[in-house]
Amino acid sequence: MRSRLRHLFGLALVAATVAGCGTTSGQASRIALAALAPTTPQSKASAPQPATLCTASLRPPPTLPAPGKMPGRSFMAKIYKRGYLIAGVNAATLNFGYLNPSTGQIDGFEIDLVRELARAIFGNPDAYQPVALTASQREPFVQQGKVDVVVDVTTMTCARSRKVDFSTVYYDAEQQVLVLSDSTAKSISDLAGKKVCATAGTTPIYVMQHLPHPPDAVGASQAIDCLVLLQQGLIAGISTDSSILGGFTAQDPNTRIIGPSIAPVPYGMEISKAHPEFVRFVNGVLAKLRSDGTWRALYDRWLRGIQGSNPVLPAPQYEG
Amino acid sequence: MWISDPELTVEGASIAAAPAPTRRRRARAGVALDWVRDRLATTPGRLVLVSILVVVGAVVFGAIALGAEQSRERAAKAARSQTELLLVQAKNLYTALQDANATVATGLLSGGLEPTSSRLRYQRDLRVGTEALTTLTRRAGTSPATAAAIRTVANQLPVYTGLVESARANNRQGFPIGAAYLRRAVLLSTSSMLPAAGRIYRTQAQRLNEDYNTGTANAALVTFIVASVAALILLLLAQWYVTRISRRILNVPMLLATVAVAAVSVWGVIALIDEQNSLATAQRDGSDSVEVLSAATVLLSRAQGDLSLTLVNRGSDTTDQADFNSVQPRLGGLIGEMSVLARRTDTGAAANRLDGEYASYLAQANSIKGLEKKGKLPDALKLEPTTAAISYQLSNDLTGQIGTAQGRFARGASDATSALGGLALAIPVITVLAAVAALLGLRQRINEYR
Repeated sequence: MRSRLRHLFGLALVAATVAGCGTTSGQASRIALAALAPTTPQSKASAPQPATLCTASLRPPPTLPAPGKMPGRSFMAKIYKRGYLIAGVNAATLNFGYLNPSTGQIDGFEIDLVRELARAIFGNPDAYQPVALTASQREPFVQQGKVDVVVDVTTMTCARSRKVDFSTVYYDAEQQVLVLSDSTAKSISDLAGKKVCATAGTTPIYVMQHLPHPPDAVGASQAIDCLVLLQQGLIAGISTDSSILGGFTAQDPNTRIIGPSIAPVPYGMEISKAHPEFVRFVNGVLAKLRSDGTWRALYDRWLRGIQGSNPVLPAPQYEG
Repeated sequence: MWISDPELTVEGASIAAAPAPTRRRRARAGVALDWVRDRLATTPGRLVLVSILVVVGAVVFGAIALGAEQSRERAAKAARSQTELLLVQAKNLYTALQDANATVATGLLSGGLEPTSSRLRYQRDLRVGTEALTTLTRRAGTSPATAAAIRTVANQLPVYTGLVESARANNRQGFPIGAAYLRRAVLLSTSSMLPAAGRIYRTQAQRLNEDYNTGTANAALVTFIVASVAALILLLLAQWYVTRISRRILNVPMLLATVAVAAVSVWGVIALIDEQNSLATAQRDGSDSVEVLSAATVLLSRAQGDLSLTLVNRGSDTTDQADFNSVQPRLGGLIGEMSVLARRTDTGAAANRLDGEYASYLAQANSIKGLEKKGKLPDALKLEPTTAAISYQLSNDLTGQIGTAQGRFARGASDATSALGGLALAIPVITVLAAVAALLGLRQRINEYR
C-alpha cells in the first residue's frame, strides 16, 4: 500500500517526463550475462618427440663431497644455502611419482631418488620440495632454474639433451603394449590400423607412427587418460613406458601387457647445462646407490609388485 | 445542351467500361454519400451523424486502450508467473552443475575418505539440477534451441554421474586413475552440459528482459493517452455542437459519458504508470540482483572447482589454473556490482558480509596458488578444506541473498499486475456505458425534432 502511494506521489513528476519514465537499462543483467560468457580454452598441440636416444652423461668425481660440505661456488653449495632441493616430479605415475591419497604426499621410486639426492647434499632426506610438472614444463623449468633437477619418467632423447643435461640412466623402461585381458592381439603388429593411445606429443607416439605396420596413434593429455579410454572401450590398446603400464595393470587387473619390447626407454634426470658439476655430483650419487644396494632396495619397495622381481641394474654410460 | 454532350458520352463510356462490381461499389458509395449529404442538410440528421461518430469513436478508443493495457498486462504477468520462475530454475540448473564439479573435485582432494558433507552436497546438487531440468522441460520447451540445450543436459547428466562414481571408486583405492575419471567428468560438464545450461539461462534472462521492455514500453502509455484525449475531444465537440443547436447548456447523459471516459482514462494512466514503476522496481531491486548474484554463484563454484582441480591434477595441467585466473576478475566485477545494487536495495549489511567473505576467499585461494606454484602441494592441500568451507559459506550466503532478491522481485511484479487489476474489464464496460449514455443524450435532442 505504501509503495502504491509513493508511486501516486511520483505521478505528477513521472507524467511530466513520460519519455524517460520506467525505462530500465538492464545494465546489471548485461553485466551478469557478460560475466558468464563462455571462454574458449586454448589447446596446444605439440609434435611427437623423435626417439633417438642420447644416454651418455658426465663422469662423476672420484670422491663425493660429504653432506653439508659442498665445494664453494658449486651449484650444490647454492642449493645447500637455500636449505632444500627443488625437484620437478610426476604426481600421477603410480609408484614412480604419485600423490598418495592416503598420505597427501607425493611418493614413489623417483621421490625416494630425490630424497637420496637431498641426503647427499644436506644429510637430511626430507630437505626437498617436489614440484609437480607437465611433460611440456620439464625442460623450460630446468632451463629457467625454477627447479634444480627433474626426476619425472623422462626418456633420454637427443632432442631433450640438446636443451638440458641428463644424468646417467636411473631406470631402464621399455615401450610396451597394454590391452584388455580379452584382446586377441599378441603384439603391437596385431593392432595395425587400430586406435592405440599414448600421451600426446611424446616419444611413444613417434615410435608407433614409425612402425612398419603402424596403429592409429591417439594422443591423450596424460598417460592415465589412456587407461580411462581403454576402460571405456574407445581404444584397442595403450603403448607407452613399461613403468607406466605396470601401474595400469595394478589399477585394472582386467588388462595385460603383450608382446616384446618395442623400444628401449631409459630414464634420466634433467639438469641445467649451466651446472655440469651438479650433473657429475648426481651421477656420483647414482653410482653409489647402484653399488651399495640402495637402488635395489628402492626397487623392491616400489616397483617389484608392478615391474617384476628381476630388475636389470641400469648401466651408466659416461662421456668426458 | 450539345456542349455537355461530350461529357456525358465520356462519362457514359467510362461507366460502361468499368467492371460490374466496381460500378456497384461506386454506386453504393454514391448512395452512402447521398445519405450523409441528406443527413447534413437537417439538424436531426446532423445529430444522427454525430451519434454514429461517437459510437465509432468509443469503439476505437476502447479497442486501442484495451490493446495498450493488454500488452502491458501480458508482459507483467509473464514476468511474474513464468519468465522469472524459469530464470531461477535455469540458474538452479547452472549453479547445481557447476557446484557438482567443484564439490566432487574438492571431495576427492581429501583422499580415499571423502567427507560426508561433500557427498551430501553433491547429491543435493544433483537433486536441485534434475528438479530444475524437469521444470524447464515441462515449461520452457517452446524454443527449439532451448529444447536442444535441455536435451543435451538430460542426456549427459547420467554419463557425468557415472564418470564421477568411477572417479570415487578408484580414488577410494588410491588409484591415480580416479583423478583421470574426474577430469573426464569435469571435461564433459564444462564442454557440453555447462555451455548448454548457460544457453538456457541466457535465453531466460533475455526473455525476462523482453518482458520488462514490453511491460514498461512507453508506446503503450502514449497510445493510451492519445486515445483517451481523442475520445474526450470527440465527446466535448459533440456536446459543444449539441449545446449550440439546442440552446441548452447541460446534457446530463452526455456529461456522464464524458466523466466516465475521463475517469477510466485517468485510472488507466495512473494504473499504467504504477504498473510500469512497479515492474521497473521489480527489475532494479529484484531480478537485477538475482541475475548478478546468480552469475556470482556460478563463477564462485567454477573458481573453487578450478582451484581443487589444479590440486587434483598436481600441476600436471595448467588449464584449470588459467581458467581460475580468467574467472577471478569477472567474479570480482560481479561482487562490485553486487555492492552497487545493495545500496539501491538497502541490503548493504549483507553485501558487506559477502564482500568480506569474498576477500577472505580470494586471500586463501591466492595462498593456495602460491604454495602450489612453489610445489608445496601438501601445504596447499592443508589449506584446501578451509578454502572450501569459506567458498561453501559464501555460496550459501549468495543463495540466501538470491532468495531475498526474489522476494523483492515478487513484490514488485505482483504490484505491477495488481496495478492493472480490473482495468481490462473496466475499459470495455465503461466505454460501452459511455457510448450508450452519449447516444441517449443525443437521442433526446433528435426526438425534439420529431
